[in-house]
Amino acid sequence: MKFFEATHRFNHSWAEVTAANWMKYPNEQCPHVIAVDVLDRHVDPETGVLRTERLLTCNQNAPALVLKFLGGSTLSYVRETSELDPKTKKLTMKTQNLSMCNVLTINETITYTVNPQDETSTMFKQEAQILAGSALSRFSSYIEDFCLTRFRDNAAVGRAGFEMVLEKLNKARQEASQQLVSATASAAVSATAGSMTL
Amino acid sequence: MSSSIGEKCTKIKQEYDGCFNNWYSEKFLKGDATPQCDDLFFKYKECLMQTLEEKKLDTLIADARKDNPFPNASSSSSSSKSESSSKKE
Repeated sequence: MKFFEATHRFNHSWAEVTAANWMKYPNEQCPHVIAVDVLDRHVDPETGVLRTERLLTCNQNAPALVLKFLGGSTLSYVRETSELDPKTKKLTMKTQNLSMCNVLTINETITYTVNPQDETSTMFKQEAQILAGSALSRFSSYIEDFCLTRFRDNAAVGRAGFEMVLEKLNKARQEASQQLVSATASAAVSATAGSMTL
Repeated sequence: MSSSIGEKCTKIKQEYDGCFNNWYSEKFLKGDATPQCDDLFFKYKECLMQTLEEKKLDTLIADARKDNPFPNASSSSSSSKSESSSKKE
């Protein structure tokens, strides 16, 4: 079994980051995620926690040798369950691969929390366990190492992609408020113009 | 917005996503958890479930739920679902 851990700080509020999280795909950095579906979603009436269950459909881009061991399918499926508590401002997402889990299991947990030192930024924590099954015993270490490397690369690329999504949303928000400002400004100008004609 | 696994579901899925994203930022995070997108979600889900059955992924998901349950999964209780289908009838 191999472990992976990463932390990151996003310079965006928790509200922005969690809103963007639902819109993370598609992004240019993660073309392997080809579909995202919501299997179930509800707000717990007692706790107010938003629970979401999603299915991610991904294109495998592993080398032929690895694909051969993993069954040769080019599509893989990942199930993600998440709990989002708007009171404590914590989003926890757990993902597990659905395909090939008899040969390889990847369990990942991601949390997004408010940075206690700076409320305008968000802390991201990612933990993963990679376990190659006994069917691969002779090669399990190779497979696990390969997956760990691939996971590390994907994690970095995924964060970069998410930053791009956040920037895009930020820009859209700024443009919307600029439009509001220019609308207000032109209203002010026409008010001035109006007062001038008076 | 991302596509659905079922090509025919993508349009309704993106409509639902749009509704949800708006609800999430404008209502839910502001303390109002009243559902707003249920009709769209039920329509999308109907299409999605059909696709998952066709692709034989329904059993894969059911097995995963056994190992790692999704609390209060509405797919097991059809109460909210029957509400939407009764609207259609």
